Amino acid sequence: MADIAHENVAPRPAAKRGVTPTRRMLQIAAARTDFRIGLVGFALLVGLAILLPLVSPVDPIKIAYGSKLLPPFPAEGWKWPYLLGTDQLGRDVLMRCLVGLRYSLLIGITTVVLMFVVGCSLGLYAGFRGGWVDAVIMRLTDAQLSIPMIILAITILGVSRPTVPAIILVLGLSGWPLYARVARSVALGERSRGYVLGERVLGASDLRIMLLFVAPVVLPPIAFVAVLDIARMMIFESILGFLGLGVQPPTPTFGNVIADARKYLLNAWWIATMPGVFMLVSLTCLNLMGSALERARNAVLRGEA
Amino acid sequence: MFVLSFLLRRLLQGALIILLVTFIIFTLLRVVPGDPARLIVGGMAPDEVVVMKAKELGLDRPIPVQFVSYLGDLVTGDLGTSFVRPKSGASLGGSSFDDATREERAKVLDLILATLPMTLQLAAVALALALLVAVPLGTLGGLYPGRWPDKLALAIGSICVSTPNFWLGIVLTLFLSVKLKLLPAIGYRGFSYTILPAIVLAVEIVPFILRTLTVSVAQVMREDFIQLAPIRGLSRSRTIFSHALGNSAIPLINLLGVQLGMLLGGVLVIEFIFDYPGLGLLTINAVLQRDFPLIQGIAIFISVMFVMINVLVDLIAMTIDPRLEY
Repeated sequence: MADIAHENVAPRPAAKRGVTPTRRMLQIAAARTDFRIGLVGFALLVGLAILLPLVSPVDPIKIAYGSKLLPPFPAEGWKWPYLLGTDQLGRDVLMRCLVGLRYSLLIGITTVVLMFVVGCSLGLYAGFRGGWVDAVIMRLTDAQLSIPMIILAITILGVSRPTVPAIILVLGLSGWPLYARVARSVALGERSRGYVLGERVLGASDLRIMLLFVAPVVLPPIAFVAVLDIARMMIFESILGFLGLGVQPPTPTFGNVIADARKYLLNAWWIATMPGVFMLVSLTCLNLMGSALERARNAVLRGEA
Repeated sequence: MFVLSFLLRRLLQGALIILLVTFIIFTLLRVVPGDPARLIVGGMAPDEVVVMKAKELGLDRPIPVQFVSYLGDLVTGDLGTSFVRPKSGASLGGSSFDDATREERAKVLDLILATLPMTLQLAAVALALALLVAVPLGTLGGLYPGRWPDKLALAIGSICVSTPNFWLGIVLTLFLSVKLKLLPAIGYRGFSYTILPAIVLAVEIVPFILRTLTVSVAQVMREDFIQLAPIRGLSRSRTIFSHALGNSAIPLINLLGVQLGMLLGGVLVIEFIFDYPGLGLLTINAVLQRDFPLIQGIAIFISVMFVMINVLVDLIAMTIDPRLEY
């Protein structure tokens, strides 16, 4: 199967046979400095976010008036273990950032997976089938792309209770049309390829050809770019939180922590600033990885590598 | 003649899309919980008043009937009446049904048209700022792929796209208006109030322009007609300015059409943070107050704009590159 995929994406010189395009994209990306920086930074942050709340005795939600409004590390008056200071209720800012990062990642990744699955399966089906199925699905994506989804998203979340699954569903369903478009355009090109005709002659069903032979060729390059969307969805989630339509307090998320800390901006700047810096760093790492993958993909698809 | 048939076809398609959009939004807002009649008269009103109000507004009819009558109003340019906003322009009118200060509600279209110029002003300033920064940087990045201008463009793009707009807004307010007292931030009392929100919005637009422009310039530079230009005796700067840049602008123009929705998301949040009285703030307040006719009207209004801007974008792209066909 790898051979089929490989031969049909772009004819390769004999020396590189046996290496799938996906593999080659990963190799190119891994050789780039920006990808490595992003990967190391991201892995560190994610590791910290997963492990530290498990082992640390500091509770991110418990209120402790004795230690309220402590400044972060280099400033005068900071106290161990509150490296990034504490907020107006004495809760550790670092721990709240890490828990926020957990939620942000959870929502970002699941949302993109949902978008990817829904969009790509509809797009593949539309492109592979053609005809009226194609026309209906594509008009649907047109319509959805011209609805200002953010308005609908905040409306739905504003009216119903914003729980984690609801947020994932709303964000995921707002993002699928772009994936459907891309998957469709690639599937259209694959439809008349030799290997698909060959499978047809062998009597394979449409579903079998689509899932076993077309999908492995078409999907990985799209999945590479989806990394960028994880970052976008994490920002989206924090915007919802900021507007009060995200995960509800006392659970700390980047959005609701920053919204809450606005009131204390003048005398305790770190409560609002630190979560933002955290977000900025983790999203930059993610975006560096994503754009390196995207460039590697473009290089392979152009046939340069 | 060709342009006419193109316009006609696109406008028909656009009308179909808007019909579909209207239907989706209309049904969605009817399905979500919350009784509009109850919202209008307020929580303390007796049940008879609620029923009377529902009858008066036609809310007791089946949804398809309501939809058709809404469409009928829509065609004549009537987007309905706000549930909570009075004509005087206050954000909340007397909310209880027997409140003496309660007055006539404002028309949705009037509310939208009153706030639209503010948002357009914000968007124009932001777009100008973004183009000023991103066009030189992106072009250089595309001219020297893999070298430092390209890397710089990539780095700046990555950082800008990773900056949460609401956080940047807060931090800039803290530094530029509270600490340094350079720019006013909250509310609107003159043009200077546009600058800070526009900077934040520009930071959000820059990465998209950078990415598209770097890729498209690099691509155009690989084309035969550019590669062969030195043989025709053209200088490098002449090749770049009069042959490469125009062609690389097409993906950029297309991008502006497609990314309008994303831009809108930014406008919404930024206007909310800076309390900037534009369409975005109106939308957020409408959502927080569950003012359904207003939400519906804004959503439809924006999809109409979206369709029209995309037709315009295609027209401009066709003028730049006559090979394109739509």
